[in-house]
Amino acid sequence: MFETVLGALTMGFLQTLKLFAVTLIGAIPLGLVVSFGSMSRFTPLRWLTRTVVWVIRGTPLMLQLLIIFFIPGQWMGSSPWPSGESGRFLAAAIAFIINYACYFSEIYRGGIQSVPVGQQEAGLVLGMTKRQIFFKVTLLQMIKRIVPPMSNEIITLVKDTSIARIISLQEVIWAGYAFLKGSHGYSGLTWPLFFTGVYYLVFNGGLTLLFGWVEKKLDYFK
Amino acid sequence: MSILEVHHIEKHFGATHVLEDISFSLEQGQALAIIGSSGSGKTTLLRCLNFLEVPDQGRILVNGETLFDAADPATQLESEIRKKRLHFGLVFQNFNLFPQYTALQNVTLARELLAREQGGESREHILEAGKELLAQMGLADRAGHYPHQLSGGQQQRVAIARALALQPDILCFDEPTSALDPELTGEVLRVIRGLAEKKTTMIIVTHEMAFARDVADQVIFMDGGIIVEQGDPRQVIEHPREERTRQFLSRYEEG
Repeated sequence: MFETVLGALTMGFLQTLKLFAVTLIGAIPLGLVVSFGSMSRFTPLRWLTRTVVWVIRGTPLMLQLLIIFFIPGQWMGSSPWPSGESGRFLAAAIAFIINYACYFSEIYRGGIQSVPVGQQEAGLVLGMTKRQIFFKVTLLQMIKRIVPPMSNEIITLVKDTSIARIISLQEVIWAGYAFLKGSHGYSGLTWPLFFTGVYYLVFNGGLTLLFGWVEKKLDYFK
Repeated sequence: MSILEVHHIEKHFGATHVLEDISFSLEQGQALAIIGSSGSGKTTLLRCLNFLEVPDQGRILVNGETLFDAADPATQLESEIRKKRLHFGLVFQNFNLFPQYTALQNVTLARELLAREQGGESREHILEAGKELLAQMGLADRAGHYPHQLSGGQQQRVAIARALALQPDILCFDEPTSALDPELTGEVLRVIRGLAEKKTTMIIVTHEMAFARDVADQVIFMDGGIIVEQGDPRQVIEHPREERTRQFLSRYEEG
């Protein structure tokens, strides 16, 4: 029994990890684009971006997920998402990427704006382009500043992936809950649900160590 | 021909007239000191020369070439401005070293980026030149240190080496010792004095009157955005003609 449950939960957690990883890969760079939009000197773009960020941060991720997954099918007659788990995953990934990109963008903006303007001016008078200044001067200083808030967001993301259960993505909590209501010939099993927490704890413990290591790595400059 | 000619520069920040009809010229190998109280427009003037601010009126010429003309938008293209900035170097009051780079990397970064774009100098050559500059600043043994591991005076000397690395025609200093503890100003002033002896063309905004008098070939006293008096340093600092200059200098003697 233990092995059956562990196998099912691990399969679920792999799906959790996949959604986690894909969200990060998409949202980390997209967040940068959004943050540039929200700092643009072109006022319409700045306001448009800030409005989008307001809407995305101001409404529940669960609502966004339901809208992205169900509404296109309702309006267009047939769902644009591939059927089965892959379609659910794709919809979840898109909703998560957009949602997290908006949160990340605000963290980035804070990080970029906290780098003293003198750094940029020093780059300019040395004949560097704005692009060179961003990548060679600002970026690493920004990264150093945003590690603590980003680690918060990323740990939240690990747990938020469970929201994808609302569109029946078969992540770890879905797998644990299945044993309560009947799965693999078992029903009424309560411990698998508790046990899903162990996966989260272990993984987040690892992430915490990783962030501590990154912070230490960036400690060589002030 | 003067290396630098500044004609009738005007600058407003909103309703405030920060620079009013500023004109002066500077000869190759000379040092110009700009003195005046805070808010007199000295720093804004330096920032205009380095294209960190755009003057509302006026022209700036280097070696007879018009770098900036408020009446000619063609002189204000972003891509051109970048090249023009290289005529000038600027040493900031707060150093503004890049904290994530060592002293040597601070000195070589911009030159390496330029070389990568335009070809030419090898990386080794740039590194050698950078080390030599640090040695000139008395920092040969600090090349591998990060800014936070250096004293304020050492950081400012790295910043001077960084500005010199691009071999600007005119090196500008914006109150280079104002952010330093009093016991650290000497080492920075000594370096600048050494540059003056080597006939580096410089513009130095400073509150160090004795230093300005000894090092500069020409002094400008600014007040309220205008040039009140300019000329030989001994004459301006020791025998000012204008009442405003006298008042300003007497505050220094008391203080």
